[in-house]
Amino acid sequence: MFKAIRNRWQRWVNHRIPRSDQRTFGQRNIFILPTGAGVVFGALLLIMLITGINYQNSLIYLLTFLLGAVAVAAMHQTHRNLSGLELTLIQAGEGFAGDLIPFRLRAVSPRHDTLALSLACDDVVLNQQHIHAGQQSDLSLSVPSYRRGYLQPDRILVETRFPFGLFRAWSWLRPVTSGIVYPNPLPAPDAASTVQDGEQASKSRSIDGNDHADLRPWREGDMSQRVQWKRFARTGEMVIADWEGEQGSPHWLDYDAFAGVDRELRLGYLAQQVLERSRNNSRFGLNLPGHVIEPDAGPAHASRCLKALAVFGLEQPREGGPLPHGTRAGEGVGRPVASGREAAL
Amino acid sequence: MKYFRNRSAKREVSETAELVSGKALIWLIASFALLLVPQWDRLPVWLLASCAVLAGWRWLAQSGRVRLPGKWLRSGIMLALVAVYIATVQGRFTVETAASFFVLAVGLKWLETRSVRDFYVLFFILVYLATVNFLFRQEIHWSVINLAGVVLLLVGLQVVNAPEIPGALKSGWRRLGMMLLKTLPIVVLLFVFFPRMAPLWSVPLVSGEARTGISDSMTPGDISSLAQSSERAFRVTFGGETPAYRDRYWRGLILDRLDGETWQQGFGRQFRRPGRVSVDGGVGELESNQYDVLMEPTDQTWAFALENSRAVSDNVKPNDEDLFRFDRPADSPVRYRMALSGQDLPGVSGAEPDNVERYLQLPRTGNPRARALGQDLADEYNNPEAIVRHLLDRFREQEYFYTLRPPAMPEDGIDALLFDEKRGFCAHYAGAATFVLRAAGIPARVVVGYQGGDSGADDEYLIVRQYDAHAWVEAWVPGQGWVRMDPTAAIAPQRIESGLRDAVAEEGSFLENDWTSPQRYGDMAMLQWASLQLDRMNYHWQRWVVGYQGQSQMDLMSRLPGGIGLRELGYITAGIVGAGLLLAGLITAWHYRRNESRDPFSRLVGRWHRLCDRAGVPVRHGETPSQLAFRLARAKPAAAGTATAFARMINKHYYGREPGIGARSELARMKRLLATMKRQAERQPQADRQPPGHPEGNH
Repeated sequence: MFKAIRNRWQRWVNHRIPRSDQRTFGQRNIFILPTGAGVVFGALLLIMLITGINYQNSLIYLLTFLLGAVAVAAMHQTHRNLSGLELTLIQAGEGFAGDLIPFRLRAVSPRHDTLALSLACDDVVLNQQHIHAGQQSDLSLSVPSYRRGYLQPDRILVETRFPFGLFRAWSWLRPVTSGIVYPNPLPAPDAASTVQDGEQASKSRSIDGNDHADLRPWREGDMSQRVQWKRFARTGEMVIADWEGEQGSPHWLDYDAFAGVDRELRLGYLAQQVLERSRNNSRFGLNLPGHVIEPDAGPAHASRCLKALAVFGLEQPREGGPLPHGTRAGEGVGRPVASGREAAL
Repeated sequence: MKYFRNRSAKREVSETAELVSGKALIWLIASFALLLVPQWDRLPVWLLASCAVLAGWRWLAQSGRVRLPGKWLRSGIMLALVAVYIATVQGRFTVETAASFFVLAVGLKWLETRSVRDFYVLFFILVYLATVNFLFRQEIHWSVINLAGVVLLLVGLQVVNAPEIPGALKSGWRRLGMMLLKTLPIVVLLFVFFPRMAPLWSVPLVSGEARTGISDSMTPGDISSLAQSSERAFRVTFGGETPAYRDRYWRGLILDRLDGETWQQGFGRQFRRPGRVSVDGGVGELESNQYDVLMEPTDQTWAFALENSRAVSDNVKPNDEDLFRFDRPADSPVRYRMALSGQDLPGVSGAEPDNVERYLQLPRTGNPRARALGQDLADEYNNPEAIVRHLLDRFREQEYFYTLRPPAMPEDGIDALLFDEKRGFCAHYAGAATFVLRAAGIPARVVVGYQGGDSGADDEYLIVRQYDAHAWVEAWVPGQGWVRMDPTAAIAPQRIESGLRDAVAEEGSFLENDWTSPQRYGDMAMLQWASLQLDRMNYHWQRWVVGYQGQSQMDLMSRLPGGIGLRELGYITAGIVGAGLLLAGLITAWHYRRNESRDPFSRLVGRWHRLCDRAGVPVRHGETPSQLAFRLARAKPAAAGTATAFARMINKHYYGREPGIGARSELARMKRLLATMKRQAERQPQADRQPPGHPEGNH
């Protein structure tokens, strides 16, 4: 039942705060509640009032009323601190899966200062940001990524407890623009070493009738996925298949080179290769099913390739669809497992 | 791997955020120091010293010069201090021990104040410490110190919530000042209208500290130590003429039992119910024969009144000795109202006091010469009036001295005083006179109270101080009742005519041990003036603010139209709170609206959105300006150019490297664009007819 209420609340909030890269916070979308300290403070005021009544002490009455009025004023102050703030997502960052992806936001508070603002996404918090009246400041919030693809934070919490920390005013920014998360680079099985095994390779090529696979004995460090288990069952030999693609044209990084390997794993290998090639400043092209990037060199090219790897086979998330990619809500909250890694096991 | 690296990074972030900054801490420590000031003479020295050490330690640790104690040392310090506390308290529960406990808790907490959470714990304790301080001290200067302590706390709270802003302190003060200023009307209204209920349950303010003031027993020498104190006993406002100095005899209590050298009250102490006395008796205008007494707390039930008074306010009751009593000990300042009546009081003209033996009691032995003197007087004159007169004559004519430095008279003190030393203070002479009268068979009793009182600022009221404490005698004269007989008046008339200062002027012993008292320096006019002004301020503070309790409130309400009772006050309070909240909400909403409409940029964007809406292109959520411009251009091709340009300017505003907000020229350009766009969008229908798509219609 608790979950149902929670879901309802989330849906209501999502309806109330539709996705947008830009949001001006105001009465329609700011929530405010006392913090734990605020609740204790309320209890303290009650105790003080009782003390005043029981000891017939006017000054204690006075102090109680004074602090009570200040607390109410502080509530308005906290609300006002957030109200009028304009937050715009100006750049959704890029990075590798598992990294913190920087999202750049521009904050403008036209009329009055917004002090001690904190932004949070998942459990990464950006604390103590001060936006002075009429000035714009750019904030960079790191959003944790768990797998490659589009990273669209479901909600970026925008919160302030200024001035006294007795109340907490908050709202959310639900950006439309997604960040791009590249696949986690994985070292590809060493292609270079297989070239030396030429003789054995040509021998084994006829076996299985598999033309573009080289077979070689298992060595420590080889992935278990790549063992030819059928052959193992038949002969008891641990044999590894190396595919021809790796020895093919050095200018092309080919998705099809890793036949039979899981998609995410392939993308990881390719990402590693892109990085290596880019580091050596060599020319290369990327061949993905349905998406070919002609050979080129340079960081822009590398970034283009990585981006292509990141979004391969995924659609850009849209508002109103199911829970977007890259948020933990879709994976069961609090499960601290990087899903890219999970797929590899 | 990466995942865990992230985790630890996050933890670091949250930990640094949780650490309380030194800037915030200094405010907390300052506030603590300030809040200790009103308690300085109640707290044991060891506690004050350890608090100073602990807070200093914390501060040095903050600046990195020393380290905070580890867990073991901390526990050790805590145990040691708690042990000392328990040893000194010895199971007594008084407000002092409770306050000490608070202070001890705060002191110990210093060693563990690391996080923001600890800061809040300290904040709460200190706020309550300020509350407790108000129980002890209600004078205006103590109240100001107390409130200043609370204000420092609130400043500290702002610092702890935003430690790093440059100029935060100044704006913090300003913000707090504005808050206090804005909420002041509500606070005042609440203070006036919040119903002053009766205590919810009985909570006597048990104080372990002895108060300065007269006590219920008198050994010669007691009152002379009181004479060294200039503390205020009470203040009196007269509705009519202030009585002459010599008539200001404030009767407090009667001592009728002599035990060795000590005079005591004959009846044992009355049973005291715990609870509180109503502190604000006497409301409304004073009539010409009435007077208000604002008494400092005595922790006793007795009230002081002039002779021939009757009680007007209902918090004092007369007893059978023509004295007045509260129901319960006065542990906070109490105001009560009395009226001077004519000469014939009931009981005064009575034939015999109810129990004469009480007023004739003497110890079996001791002071033989005084006894003999009494016998002789009784033999010589058979008329009590004549005996009294003769005794007074003896005091007047023989070489008796009034002194604050009487010699020690350990055995048969009365004999020594009357026949050998002949030097004493009022208590000595009152006791001796009563002894002699009783020995002569005349019922007599010692009355203790105050005599005199100096004018406050502008003669608004009288201030009676502890050094005005006095003791005199009342003797029973058949046909006249109890007659006042004051030996001091015979020995040192100045004491009765103008006060102790003049009476001991020669001796120079007035307030000789009290260097700090302004009354000691009677010849410094400026000092006297300042001291009286301060006293007046405190008097009005006490009268109108501190003393604003149930009766004053009801009196004020009775002057307002409509019968306002406690229940109505409750409604009014609820109304004030509701109206205050509503008003604050409205002001916030108004601010918000004004801000929204005042920001020229967002106003322009709003106008553009409305224009699009009218043109049949409602704005979609999450749409970028360019997308909207694109759709508008599709719907109204004539406005395509302006719409795209407008969208570009919005983008420039949001995403441009150079902040272009507010630049006049840009805003003006956007305004022009918008106007053109509007025209173009409205011209559209005419333009529609001209393309060759529909030539037939025109022909």
